[in-house]
Amino acid sequence: MANDDGFFVFSGRFDLTQVSKGLKGFSLKIENSIPRRAFNLLDCYDQSVRAGGRLLIQTDDVLRLLNSDGSVVEQSGIGTGRFVQDLPEGPVRTALTGFSSLRALMGITSGWFESHDFAVLDDLQKTQVRGFAQSLSTQGGQVVLVCVQPMRGYDRAFQTVRAAFADLSSGQQSMEAVFQALLPGISPYKAKPDIALGTDEPSVQVATDIIRTYLHVARQNEAGVIADIDTEFLHDYRVSLRRIRSVLSLFKGVFSPDQTAEFKQVFSDLMAPTGPVRDMDVYLLDKDMYFSLLPSNLHLGLEAMFDQFRAERARAFQALTKQFRSTAYEQQMSKLTTLFSEAGAIQPGPNAARGAYDYACALIWKRYRKVCKLARRITEDTPDEAVHALRIDCKKLRYLMEFFAPLFDKKAFKVLIKPLKKLQDNLGLFNDYSVQQDALLGFVSRQSNAQGRVNAQLALAAGGLVGILDQRQRAERHRVIASFKHFDSQDTQHLFCTLFHHKEVKT
Amino acid sequence: MKIIACYSNKGGVGKTATSVNLAYCYAQAGYTVLLCDLDPQGASGFYLRVKPSKKLKDARFFEDVERFTGSIRASDYDRFDVLPANLTFRDFDVFLSRMRNKRSRLKKALAAAGSDYDVVLLDCPPNFSTLSENIFRAADQIVVPVIPTTLSERTFDQLVTFFEKQGLPKKKLRAFFSMVQRRKTLHLDTIERMRKLYRKRFLNAEIPFAADIERMGQNRAPLGVYAGRSAAAIAYQELFDELENGEVSTI
Ligand SMILES: Nc1ncnc2c1ncn2[C@@H]1O[C@H](COP(=O)(O)OP(=O)(O)OP(=O)(O)O)[C@@H](O)[C@H]1O
Ligand SMILES: [Mg+2]
Repeated sequence: MANDDGFFVFSGRFDLTQVSKGLKGFSLKIENSIPRRAFNLLDCYDQSVRAGGRLLIQTDDVLRLLNSDGSVVEQSGIGTGRFVQDLPEGPVRTALTGFSSLRALMGITSGWFESHDFAVLDDLQKTQVRGFAQSLSTQGGQVVLVCVQPMRGYDRAFQTVRAAFADLSSGQQSMEAVFQALLPGISPYKAKPDIALGTDEPSVQVATDIIRTYLHVARQNEAGVIADIDTEFLHDYRVSLRRIRSVLSLFKGVFSPDQTAEFKQVFSDLMAPTGPVRDMDVYLLDKDMYFSLLPSNLHLGLEAMFDQFRAERARAFQALTKQFRSTAYEQQMSKLTTLFSEAGAIQPGPNAARGAYDYACALIWKRYRKVCKLARRITEDTPDEAVHALRIDCKKLRYLMEFFAPLFDKKAFKVLIKPLKKLQDNLGLFNDYSVQQDALLGFVSRQSNAQGRVNAQLALAAGGLVGILDQRQRAERHRVIASFKHFDSQDTQHLFCTLFHHKEVKT
Repeated sequence: MKIIACYSNKGGVGKTATSVNLAYCYAQAGYTVLLCDLDPQGASGFYLRVKPSKKLKDARFFEDVERFTGSIRASDYDRFDVLPANLTFRDFDVFLSRMRNKRSRLKKALAAAGSDYDVVLLDCPPNFSTLSENIFRAADQIVVPVIPTTLSERTFDQLVTFFEKQGLPKKKLRAFFSMVQRRKTLHLDTIERMRKLYRKRFLNAEIPFAADIERMGQNRAPLGVYAGRSAAAIAYQELFDELENGEVSTI
């Protein structure tokens, strides 16, 4: 198999000397070796390193990042449990610039590592090609990856060496092949898995599939929440539940009214204990931002405030993990999983049999019109509630479009989602600023004594923040209006209409 | 980019040994280096096991950037490339000065071909020719090995006189004592006399006469590779430090 990069993957054992036969006129010499040692494969939970075609391993206190072009960077430091931005300064951290600042690195698997640098020499013992072979073995399997690098002016030798390795290798020559060998049968976590949909699939089936999928996503995050690896576990858990709840409220009449009401209650109860933890997570994540908003003479109060936030988070977190660990929770979750996995286990409603495509068009069209109606009314003076209502409806529209996306033209959806997403971003910020003000005021009142007195430093800091947040909120409203104008263009209107509003045409 | 010529109008004084070892010091210090072997004998290439390129037999070579960059070979050492042997062309100096001019087409073409080096080192043949005169003009520094003997004193004197007559800037001349044998009174006396006479022309660093350097021929590698801790390797390091930073490092 030809390979332009000089990157080869051999599954199982591979002896470098095997390649010597194919090296006409050249000889292979091992120059440096890293003897066999334990390694940890590092990635964040959704395996972004892997998705980027790279491999990050930890051996002792060395971090080693292998790029898909065969280049390697190394630095000392421990990566497990850390965020990329918190790694010590070094080439690995630099190479991972742009990596999510919210996702912590964790050990995905472990095993044994061994590496040999080699040189391919001509008759004068001049090096004409360099390379290395790294062997990685886990419980799942063993793989040897070989990278050969050309040296300036010695292209012919490079081609010879590459051909020699290519003759011995077979199968896929990519970093992904390495992961598949080391983690066979394990597919990476996906926060938003693809859900297959058929045009005429009954709506009750669609709803059940979505709920089952997101129940599974939620469950996949439980361990990470308990271990408190990073805040994204809880965030994803909540988003999954929110998607489920939106199906329950948006897919009207696919389940029986009793059943719907019961599910709504169940998922609302599951969501409840996550809110307080998430709220505090959001504050703590934005800590630097808050400090930068206030002059340093108010930082003392802010410190006191964040001490309280941390304490509150710890309390809320304990309550949440207690729930996650309880037998009742486990029983509840497995009951739900079974319920949504078995055909016919749920009582259908009047819309259960409606075809997915038809149903999707109706739901999306209706929601789109509602969004437009709300948004066109928003001015500088409309009450905040109207903006909040718009945010909720935009979110519902977005969820609907995402759920049913497989039934529609990909390109058209991209065109529609882009301005919608921009609008949602503005609405989200508007909401954040408003929620944060309320929370700060609530926080101050909780901190005050019976006479309504409160620590002056704390009150000053909170007051300063509320002032700034209020200004920001108002500025954001302008942007909401502008973004909606953009979303409400003739072209978008037309596209929504052709995609979703055609009672007569049915494919 | 900086151009350093290693030159002497006398043969066998250590020009090639100096070129190879200096180039290695620069590369080790993090600079990208191109060592051009201007000597038809191709001694630098020999020390680095790089075979002379067939492409270089053509006189129009330097007009063709692609062939120039295509003839460059990686040495076995990081950041250290070689242009092997036989570059006796009249227009080489023009080529060199264009190479340095940021706005020249040549400079851009070289950069695009990954040939924009921090340092270009020239290992010169031992004669006065049009080539050497041109190189005196193009180079930023001319490193001159001088064996401290009476004969060398005369040759160095000729070189300085030549610079004066031609109106060439003498401060480019960075001479150093090569193959120094401190046991020999003749060497010590010559060094003392010449340092007085050419106070500003001589570097403090001296390269001793050392068996380790002679062994470069068998090892075919820079001294730092096979005798990194030897007195001679340290002497080359000091020569590099003084050329680069104007001082002798204390380590
Ligand atoms: N400091 C030294 N101590 C001992 N031997 C040396 C030293 N420097 C160079 N030599 C040896 O002296 C000989 C000539 O050295 P070199 O080839 O570097 O001189 P050169 O000036 O380049 O010669 P040419 O004029 O022929 O190009 C070589 O055999 C080399 O190994
Ligand atoms: Mg020479």
